[in-house]
Amino acid sequence: MAAWRLVPFQRYPPRENMAIDEAIFREVQRSGGPPTIRLYGWMSPAVSIGHFQHIDREIDLDACRQGGVTVVRRPTGGKAVYHDDDLTYAVIAGENNTLFPPTILETYRVISKCLVQGLHKLGLEAILAEEGRMQGQGSLEASCFSVPSLHELLVQGRKICGSAQMRSRGVFMQQGSLLMSFDPEKTCDIMLPHREPRANQVQALQEKVTSLYDHLPRSVTREDVCQSLIEAFQDEWAVSFAEGALTAAEEKLKDHLLATKYENLTKYSSQNPSPP
Amino acid sequence: MKVFPDDLLYSREHVWVRVEGDLAIIGITDLAQEKLGEVHSIELPEIDSEVERDEPFGAVEAAKGTVELISPLTGNVINVNEDLIDDIGIVNSDPHDTGWMIVVEINDLDELDDLLDSRGYHDFILQEVEGD
Repeated sequence: MAAWRLVPFQRYPPRENMAIDEAIFREVQRSGGPPTIRLYGWMSPAVSIGHFQHIDREIDLDACRQGGVTVVRRPTGGKAVYHDDDLTYAVIAGENNTLFPPTILETYRVISKCLVQGLHKLGLEAILAEEGRMQGQGSLEASCFSVPSLHELLVQGRKICGSAQMRSRGVFMQQGSLLMSFDPEKTCDIMLPHREPRANQVQALQEKVTSLYDHLPRSVTREDVCQSLIEAFQDEWAVSFAEGALTAAEEKLKDHLLATKYENLTKYSSQNPSPP
Repeated sequence: MKVFPDDLLYSREHVWVRVEGDLAIIGITDLAQEKLGEVHSIELPEIDSEVERDEPFGAVEAAKGTVELISPLTGNVINVNEDLIDDIGIVNSDPHDTGWMIVVEINDLDELDDLLDSRGYHDFILQEVEGD
């Protein structure tokens, strides 16, 4: 089995984060590079929207501008995620890696189980949602955290982590956001639709979403959380991670993607209709 | 084991092609839709746009993930399945027929030589599984 690479935690500007993840994904596709786990943070607040989301319908762009929140589009699917005090991960591997079943949902479950174990090491009891949002039951809310989906992580019935995948040419990438803390007011400010009375909307989100620091003391550091997750992935999959930086090819592709793709947000905006 | 119709050709990216003269009707295979799960949305090229062999021509979104659609051929898109707008579910329920996605005017018929027949695709899937 190929050795895994761990790209250790580091903070980057929002758009660069997405460009880095996609550069790793494309290079694993192109050159069959090692399966990779990357842990990262955000140098400034951001909201990431799913590949298929309609910006104007989902995000209050004025509120983002006023609040200094950068909007980025993820290469993966799913709903909008507000990134400020969260720990974000990306898992990138070949679809034929024996650790992962063939379907999106089954692979999602395998990764979620590692996250459960990682939280368990921190003393937090998380479970996987046994049922969740399906087609026809879709939430009207833009936020990823508004309704749990199947196999997502819940702590005391509230969602603590949101994740989504993309697949192409035999390689998959799963990106996810584990909330260290959660700001429901800010989330309501930047995500649509705005509902009245606002207090009810904030409360509804509070009842559905939780974060690590709702349950753990602040003495638990981000480094502690990273270490727990790394150990959980290694234990669950019986693999060892070797720390590694981006390759020269990944750096070059990241710069290219940043300049040509991630500066552009017009897709599925009011100037460009949404998909069916 | 799934049945892959004999009158279709298949790419290693799990896309099928029905050849009618110099036109190719294109969709995803039953195996591809099964891996995806229930499809929610689809993004397809516009009519009169070009698609390029081995490059993405669109994407589909299912629960918890998106998948890029890789074109098996180079050519001009002359039709897009509008029925998918009303009922995206046919990608899951009838992937090899009414769940077709685009029709392409083929630039180079020699590109068809790189595609697999149903038997070859069946063997390719088995190799993928055994290669795990």
